[in-house]
Amino acid sequence: MKFKALISFLAFLLILFIIVPMFKLISGADPGIMNETISDPEVTGSIFLTLRASLWATIFALFTGIPLAWVIVRKDFPGKKILEGLIDLPVIIPHTAAGIALLSAWGRNSFFTKMTGLTLPGTEAAISIAMFFVSVPFLVNSVKNGLKLVDSRYEKTARTLGATEAQAFFRITLPMIKKSILSGSIMMWGRGISEFGAVIILAYHPKTAPVLIFERFQNFGLKYAIPVTVLMVVISLLIFIITRMFEGRK
Amino acid sequence: MPVTLKNVGKKLKGFELKEVDLNIRDGEYFVLLGPSGSGKTKTIEIISGLEKPDSGLISGVEGKNIGFIYQDYMLFPHMSVFENISFGLKVRKLPADEIKNKVMSVAEIFDITPLLDKNVKNLSGGEKQRVAIARAMVISPDIYILDEPTSALDRNLKVKTQSLFRGLHKDTKKIFIHVTHDFEVALALGDRIAIIFNGEIVQAGTPDEIFSAPVSKDVADFLGYRNVIRGSIVDNMFRLNGVSIAVPEQEASLAYIAIRSDDIFLSKKEISSSARNSFFGVVAGIVHKPSSIEIILDIGFRLKVDITRKSLLEMGIKEGDKLWATFKVSSIKVFKH
Repeated sequence: MKFKALISFLAFLLILFIIVPMFKLISGADPGIMNETISDPEVTGSIFLTLRASLWATIFALFTGIPLAWVIVRKDFPGKKILEGLIDLPVIIPHTAAGIALLSAWGRNSFFTKMTGLTLPGTEAAISIAMFFVSVPFLVNSVKNGLKLVDSRYEKTARTLGATEAQAFFRITLPMIKKSILSGSIMMWGRGISEFGAVIILAYHPKTAPVLIFERFQNFGLKYAIPVTVLMVVISLLIFIITRMFEGRK
Repeated sequence: MPVTLKNVGKKLKGFELKEVDLNIRDGEYFVLLGPSGSGKTKTIEIISGLEKPDSGLISGVEGKNIGFIYQDYMLFPHMSVFENISFGLKVRKLPADEIKNKVMSVAEIFDITPLLDKNVKNLSGGEKQRVAIARAMVISPDIYILDEPTSALDRNLKVKTQSLFRGLHKDTKKIFIHVTHDFEVALALGDRIAIIFNGEIVQAGTPDEIFSAPVSKDVADFLGYRNVIRGSIVDNMFRLNGVSIAVPEQEASLAYIAIRSDDIFLSKKEISSSARNSFFGVVAGIVHKPSSIEIILDIGFRLKVDITRKSLLEMGIKEGDKLWATFKVSSIKVFKH
């Protein structure tokens, strides 16, 4: 009993730690400014921009991250461990550092710009790139873990039945890891939405919600930062609850 | 068409398949027998084209349909029974009505027609097995490859499965390549057997050839020779702990002898015969096995002897009893290593 009580207490402590700031945030919002914020096109526009840019990043990651995870789990090659470490790199380096690195690769003087004549900083694409960089490990790792649980003999069985390697992958492996793909995508999307450091360095404009919150806090103080924050938190929370429910039903 | 492997080798992490030579005759039930980790599964994956060998030649498999059945069936969990069985036909892009006909006819053979719409997760072990066999069979394989299909089964189902494969082999007259670590299965099913240890084929032949003349003490041990004993041979006598056993003609050396536990007879009185070894010993243990009783008799070292349950009762053997153990000189196999 003592053990159970201790466990419950510790778990409760953690929940409190998460709930209290949220409660303070919502209860601290001035209703008048809140109303103003909801109808402010700059705010709503930036929230939708944030959701959209992260969605693009996630969709692109589905096409590249799943193949990468498959290669890592199913194939043996020299330097595999180094590659796995490399994928986790964006999670452990400071995100401002990630932003600087991205700016060197995609900035105005980059090879990309010289070759194509396109300028990325300040575009929605740049936001997606920054979000992609820092959040793709969540998708890759989730798919990797899912793949590890799928016995490679399922693919082999499919191949003995006449399927090509590609058919075995699309008809057998992919449907078997759809849960990992879905939860990895949700994690990645969410992580992309919340990104601030890398985004602000690569693309201050157009302003994403985290950048807008930072800017309002800097220029107008807490009172004006809170309503944007509340709106962002509520919308994110709703989306995640809905997607998690959808995921649980599958 | 026979399947042959010549000098097939493959290097893997911490394991190597070394110059595997196999000749599998047309229509033969071939058993690849070896302990786990010996390279059996790698070998059949190479035969079925799932893995490429680093060296060597394989013939007789090009363009052949292969029915591969794994121990745990590997039914695709996100598909129904029908979808599982039809998978091999769908990737061959057969017309839908032909697929349906073929699936229906194998389903009938294996008595799984009522299960076709079920999710494979809801099947019993026996049903899963029949679905897996039906799925392999529906593509009309030229070669059946079975990877330990009986090792996870209880004794009853194991025997049933063996007769199922024997019947399937008889009906289809195709090559069967069956991988197992269980010498009883090999003995029950194989037309011919190859024994693989550490990525190397150490012996191949008919069950009789192999079981009556294992090439090494490791093979003898693996084939269930319960008495594999190390000692020294001088003047055609094997000596250990003061006991001398007459053996077939041999040079003097350190050696192993192997005696099958059912080649030894137990009696209360000595059986006299010039061609026999007879030793007096004490019963040190009685072990009940599924189809026999193993008596452990201490004659200076421990000898394991198989008797029937009936003999145990008739002779009234108890621990501590003193008995005679008798075996022929010719039943002893001698190995230098």
